[in-house]
Amino acid sequence: MTAHDPIDELASAYVLGTLSAEGRREVQSRLPTDAALRDAVDGWEGRLLPLTALVEAVEPSPSLWARIERGIAPRRAPTQASAWQTWWSSLGFWRAVAATGFVAASVVALLPSTGLFAPAAPQYMVVLVAPNGTAPGWVVQTSGADSLRLVPLGTTAVPEQRSLQFWTKADDWNAPVSLGLVQPGQPLEVKLDQLPPLVPNQLFEITLEPYNGSPTGRPTGPILYIGRAVKLT
Amino acid sequence: MPQPDPDAFDHDAALAACARGDRAALRRLYEHEGRYLLGVALRIVRDRATAEDVLHDAFMNIWTRADTFDARRGAGRGWMYGIVRHRALDAVRSGARTVSADEDRLDALQAEDPPAAPDMAEAFALRADLGRLDDCLARLDTPKRNCVLFAYLDGCTHGEIAERLGAPLGSVKAWIRRGLASLRECLA
Repeated sequence: MTAHDPIDELASAYVLGTLSAEGRREVQSRLPTDAALRDAVDGWEGRLLPLTALVEAVEPSPSLWARIERGIAPRRAPTQASAWQTWWSSLGFWRAVAATGFVAASVVALLPSTGLFAPAAPQYMVVLVAPNGTAPGWVVQTSGADSLRLVPLGTTAVPEQRSLQFWTKADDWNAPVSLGLVQPGQPLEVKLDQLPPLVPNQLFEITLEPYNGSPTGRPTGPILYIGRAVKLT
Repeated sequence: MPQPDPDAFDHDAALAACARGDRAALRRLYEHEGRYLLGVALRIVRDRATAEDVLHDAFMNIWTRADTFDARRGAGRGWMYGIVRHRALDAVRSGARTVSADEDRLDALQAEDPPAAPDMAEAFALRADLGRLDDCLARLDTPKRNCVLFAYLDGCTHGEIAERLGAPLGSVKAWIRRGLASLRECLA
């Protein structure tokens, strides 16, 4: 039996996977600077890796690679094209928009008596769907002349140390504007008094960004949900 | 190895190409490893859509961090599996699939010495192609082997393993500790 080594024991528990979320965060925060812990983790990764051979392979959905490809396209593009621009010009996007219109029509029908659509100001609705899917993930409802409400229709799994960020862009704007960070599964009220009034077809999207939001003020991560404003008469 | 011939594919070279911005290289890695990596993620998160999200995020990570991959610290293939496993584990731990808040208190109530559990069934079929690890696992007694495999392959917490094996939490923790110590010694 080897001598009791707390660093090695911590590393083995981390690699084996038995640490709590808090324990995992602690190890992950120490790894960049703690060479002894890093070496111990590398040792255990190497020791246990052959066990992955016991797992049955599972064929990914055909759409998964397309999603990954969309995610990597903007980062290394020589023209520094933003995720937004890349996505704007992609076929998948326009398909999603078509799907969104379809889904929006069906969701509107479900919300006739919520009282949110008072006739005073033009009212809009946006259904946000995954770029490669048709299942709605969030709904945006205008709630008064200068505010809107983002409502989740389900939960969104967000990786550790990442955040969801909400954006909008009208057709004649140069770039999307951040409407703030979004908690998965939580509604968000957004004041629009700093922005021009909503227009038909205005785009909304939610991207996956670093924990404190995009460092550039523009979307940098993959687009998780996207949709266009539909004017309700 | 699950791959028909792991030596035929040069993961390190493909990662180096990713670091230079070669998207086709990431695609080759995906085509070569995607189904195995998805299998690994799915066993841990136990939900198809979540597993695909894990694989997606892991490939984003592989792409953006390819230039930090250091072949001196281990082979590229293992580096990728590590990224996928840890993303999957982060997803289930932070999502609190099963939170045993009282685990530590329960633990204190358990006897330190685990029972021998001689009749415990093998939960996993081992395969001879695990190399030396197979011999070392074979030397562990069944409870220790089951614990290590439930944790590593299925992403089980101590509490979940205790439930699956019908064993006290303290025993599970001791089996894991001793099992890992034996593996370490055997593989040294």
